Amino acid sequence: MPSSLTHQVEVMGTVVTLSLFDEAGLDGVRCESAFEEASGVLHEVDRVFSTYKADSPLSRLRRGELSLGQAPPEVADVLDLCRDAREATGGWFDPWAMPGGVDPTGLVKGWAAGRALEALRASGAHGALVNAAGDLVGFGGVSEHQAFKAGIADPREPTRLAAVVVLRGALATSGTYERGAHLMNPHTRVRESAVASASVTGDDPALADAWATALCVGGEAVLEHLGRARGYEALLIGHDGRSVASAGFELASDGARA
Amino acid sequence: MLKRAPFVVAGTIAGLVGLFSFRSTPASLGLNAVASSSPGSGASSNAAAGTGGTSTGGTATLASPASAAGSGTRSATGPLVNYYFGVLSVSVTATGTKLDKVTIGSIQDGGNPLSASIDGMAIPQLESQALAVQGAGIQGVSGASYTSAGFKMSLQGALSKLGIK
Repeated sequence: MPSSLTHQVEVMGTVVTLSLFDEAGLDGVRCESAFEEASGVLHEVDRVFSTYKADSPLSRLRRGELSLGQAPPEVADVLDLCRDAREATGGWFDPWAMPGGVDPTGLVKGWAAGRALEALRASGAHGALVNAAGDLVGFGGVSEHQAFKAGIADPREPTRLAAVVVLRGALATSGTYERGAHLMNPHTRVRESAVASASVTGDDPALADAWATALCVGGEAVLEHLGRARGYEALLIGHDGRSVASAGFELASDGARA
Repeated sequence: MLKRAPFVVAGTIAGLVGLFSFRSTPASLGLNAVASSSPGSGASSNAAAGTGGTSTGGTATLASPASAAGSGTRSATGPLVNYYFGVLSVSVTATGTKLDKVTIGSIQDGGNPLSASIDGMAIPQLESQALAVQGAGIQGVSGASYTSAGFKMSLQGALSKLGIK
């Protein structure tokens, strides 16, 4: 029996990688079934929340063709999360400040990853990992004795990882090197980012995603807000390459070896 | 209360591990390298052959016959994959099973100048980033969004065409 299985889902304009781990061996049938379930979850999120598909419920909501009550219930759930995130971040994450109407994209990918991970529990595997194109969330580990570790890409020097962390829950990164033009300062409505990338660890992948967006746009100023959010820590990498982390941000023990 | 602890992260986990470590890596490659050091681990269903991944074709452009795996210089292009700003494919060139070059075989971004400028930055980064995590003992990389996943998927397709796994 395999001790790890990986499944890729092309969805949401990207590829989401689902991985299952169990050193005692994985049940292939249960794993395939869990992969299918998780894949279905991701496709459903894409169907509902795509801002690129003109006929998605979210797109119709944005155009005013659909009321929140007429939209699938998960839209309201996500917007509730967005409201929480907006408040926690001091308005640095604000889907309502985006052009073209409310845009929860900065949180949806993490939220989707979390829902896909829950679907993977049915596999019975010891560990599971969802990598939604850079938004990671997992439970368990590679084995009883080996936790998941994740690298954080160095936005300025791609041949390097800037850091390696032990993955407990979620890790989300927002960076300007790929999506900078999509980041907007909700306070000034200018497309800009204070730092080159912001990575956030925490329990909830949706909130980690939102925090990463807020921190990338607002930079160190937003760390003050993060300090009040228990359980979330961040690593910021500046446009000048300088790194700043919140006090509780932990590197893997060998995470900074040269 | 301000939680702030400035420090400089000087980590170079894998540095330039280089193109050449690909051949020793089992089915799971690059940005989601699955640790495979323990015997029996690392069984993966990859995008091309597995149950999940989808690809949209792909153009095998072999400079010399595929059957010549292990000798000669060959190249292959992976399937076109969707990514955030368009569609791309990855090309690899190998001598024997040693990779010489990983490049973007094609990229279509719909002519959006914004997208083009982002691609210009992201693609060279991805090419080397995919290499950097080899052997780093990690299960994933955070930071490379959208484009990276498509890059990886196409890269896997290109490598499997050359019989390099």
